[in-house]
Amino acid sequence: MKFDVIIIGGGLSGLTAGIALAEAGKDVALVSAGQSTLHFGGGSLDLLGYDEQGNEVKNPLDAISNLNGNHPYKKIEDVSRLAGVAKKVLERAGIATAGEANHNHWRVSPIGALLPTWLSLEGMATVEDAGTMPWKRVALVNVVNFLDFPTKFLAAGLRNRGVEVDVKAFTLPELEQLRKSPTEMRSTNIAKVIETNNLIAKIANEVNDIAGGYDMVLLPAVLGIGSSETSRHLLKAIKVPANYVATLPPSVPGVRMQTLLRKRFTALGGTFFTGDQVIEGNFEGDTLKGVKTAKLDGTTLEADNFVLATGSFMSRGLVADYNHVYEPALGVDVEDLGLDRNTWSKIDVTESQPYMEMGVKTDSCLRCQRAGNTIANLYAAGSILGGHNSIKRLDSAGVDMLTALQAVNNILK
Amino acid sequence: MATETQTQNVSVNNFEQCLKCSICTVYCPVSAVTPLYPGPKQAGPDGERYRLKDKVFFDESLKMCLNCKRCEVACPNDVHIGDIIQAARIKYSTHKPSLRDMMLANTDLVGTMASPFAPIANPVLKLKPMKAVLHSVMGIDKHRTFPDYSNRKFESWFKKEAAPNQDQYSKHVSYFHGCYVNYNYPQLGKDMVKVMNAVGYGVHLLEKEKCCGVALIANGMSKQAKRQGEVNMSSMRKAIVEGHVVLTSSSTCTFTMRDEYDHLLGIDNHDVRDSISLATRFLFQLIEKGEIKLEFRKDFHKRVAYHSACHMERMGWVPYSTRLLRMIPGLEFVMLESQCCGISGTYGFKKENYERSQAIGKGLFDQINDVAPDCVATDCETCKWQIEMSTGVPVMNPISIIAEALDVEATIISNKK
Repeated sequence: MKFDVIIIGGGLSGLTAGIALAEAGKDVALVSAGQSTLHFGGGSLDLLGYDEQGNEVKNPLDAISNLNGNHPYKKIEDVSRLAGVAKKVLERAGIATAGEANHNHWRVSPIGALLPTWLSLEGMATVEDAGTMPWKRVALVNVVNFLDFPTKFLAAGLRNRGVEVDVKAFTLPELEQLRKSPTEMRSTNIAKVIETNNLIAKIANEVNDIAGGYDMVLLPAVLGIGSSETSRHLLKAIKVPANYVATLPPSVPGVRMQTLLRKRFTALGGTFFTGDQVIEGNFEGDTLKGVKTAKLDGTTLEADNFVLATGSFMSRGLVADYNHVYEPALGVDVEDLGLDRNTWSKIDVTESQPYMEMGVKTDSCLRCQRAGNTIANLYAAGSILGGHNSIKRLDSAGVDMLTALQAVNNILK
Repeated sequence: MATETQTQNVSVNNFEQCLKCSICTVYCPVSAVTPLYPGPKQAGPDGERYRLKDKVFFDESLKMCLNCKRCEVACPNDVHIGDIIQAARIKYSTHKPSLRDMMLANTDLVGTMASPFAPIANPVLKLKPMKAVLHSVMGIDKHRTFPDYSNRKFESWFKKEAAPNQDQYSKHVSYFHGCYVNYNYPQLGKDMVKVMNAVGYGVHLLEKEKCCGVALIANGMSKQAKRQGEVNMSSMRKAIVEGHVVLTSSSTCTFTMRDEYDHLLGIDNHDVRDSISLATRFLFQLIEKGEIKLEFRKDFHKRVAYHSACHMERMGWVPYSTRLLRMIPGLEFVMLESQCCGISGTYGFKKENYERSQAIGKGLFDQINDVAPDCVATDCETCKWQIEMSTGVPVMNPISIIAEALDVEATIISNKK
């Protein structure tokens, strides 16, 4: 099967590349081995939260220019411009966000930390400056028996910043039903029950009974899998200011992003190979001609250009065995730390872990290498790129989207 | 030694690869509509940990699983969640199939009995009193109408009308038509013969064909499914020796014979599997290689919305059918968002499942009504019943759409060159 471009990987990075290419009129295929880590996303996108000294970043654009030479952002021609493009890509997919690349705001993490971030989905709880909390009295309103919203941690995090917090809960007969299978009281199942049964007005009533006297109500993000319509609706129906905080996985705002991005890609005519895996590349000299997948035996997927966006260790974009780290789909070169496994990690898990900075080798145009030779038409994007620690830097979504858009620019040149 | 241990440590159905990430639970069509089903993670790898210790942890609620495999498609770690659940049902369930279940599962037997009486059976099965009896006595939901039985089986038509002409072709395929084509909708089989002949392929039936067994597996009759599967494999081996590819026009039959035979029934199909293909995939591959060419009528116009049947999605073959359909110049193509229609073969026919079945499909029906296509295209026959009943929009197999759009004369000329 022939396409203009084939994207390997269906997460934030792969979908961003796929959409941008399809918007430019290319015939694009995307091969995705299962669903992506967007399902663990917190409803915000980080560009750069902490610099290399570990200080909170107020202006990501300034801080990016001071990063070391290995960081993937160093291969992006104009970070500011592509950050604007990324926001527009999301917007056209139906994902409205607030935030600017030259000016971080702070999001509330599911366990009560305030973290610097770039874009937040509408309705998510954010503050302009974590130093001066705008809320005096907060009601944390959970659904009774919902365990993936750790209210004690959340309350403690907010109280540490001088906010008065009360933990409350409500329920409805329809929501109580979910406990019939105790393991299935999950954010996404709650969202499905709320949407199928049109519970917005009832929930608003329950919350309004609790909300009097508070200047902010924080709710678990358990609404709006397919669009933000219901989540927006509920906030409007609550008489005091109210926002959502992402839950532990699966994350409803994350699933919504995945769903809307995929929909956008398909609506633009993109072809999605679901639940399949690239297992081999056909290389001719310094060119990748086609890829084979696990399920399309007998068919090679061919294209002029390829984007490898399969993620890091967690998504199996990189695999470690006892002796080395490798890239399993195409066998491209990996920036390895050598044979001594002991150097890959530090015993204290809170320390910066060296393996986190491993990734595929690329040239200045994000092109991959194989046995030391640059492959002219194979670009890498997203978490599979090494040279940074996304947990320590809080730069994961920015790297995913901006390197994808840069790879697209390089392809379209 | 360490490397050996690491590479060889692969558990059955990749059970130990489960990271507990919970992504599968987002995509389960059953737990989306009922709190009584424990969901793929709990019913699958989580529950399996307990069942391995003691079978008392087996839970009959696992029979609510549709076996749609959407959990497997979603799993980022290739855990065969659906297989774990179905294998547990086969291994531990003590539930005995009822008369109703046996009747629904034996599509072959019931079809053979009903076909000669089709002119009587079809209207009678549509009568309200008959439906009431089926509902209360048999447990077959009153909202359902059995697909019409054809008075003349596809096999009978083929032997008389088509078989004598097939030897004039230099290339040949074998066709596994399945129960639906044979007893209910011979037209699809006729369309298949029309398209294959037009591109220069003679069509043959297998020496002996049995129902693929998908409904038997679903209804707890895996031993019978295995016996039937062995018959199919042995017939297919003979066809393969003659150099034939075995084609089907049903995604579910294909998936069952390629994957479920080995994974669930323990049938050794390794020498046959790669020769079983779906007709749309076969055509697409030949067109791509430049070996055949399809010519289409200039006056064909249709707005077609494609529905990805669950097992088609699991096989990863959706793009074969969609890219083939998109070759038709007069076809306006709309891709529906992939989700289960809720029928799952015989599942939706059972009165205890009816409401759940319709709730599962609701999102799909709404989408179809919004798109308002001339027809829906899908590779699965039971999706066809469900979508037609629930939306009123006609549903066609891609092969029938090709047959309708085909300029037969021009195609024959193009393929003789």
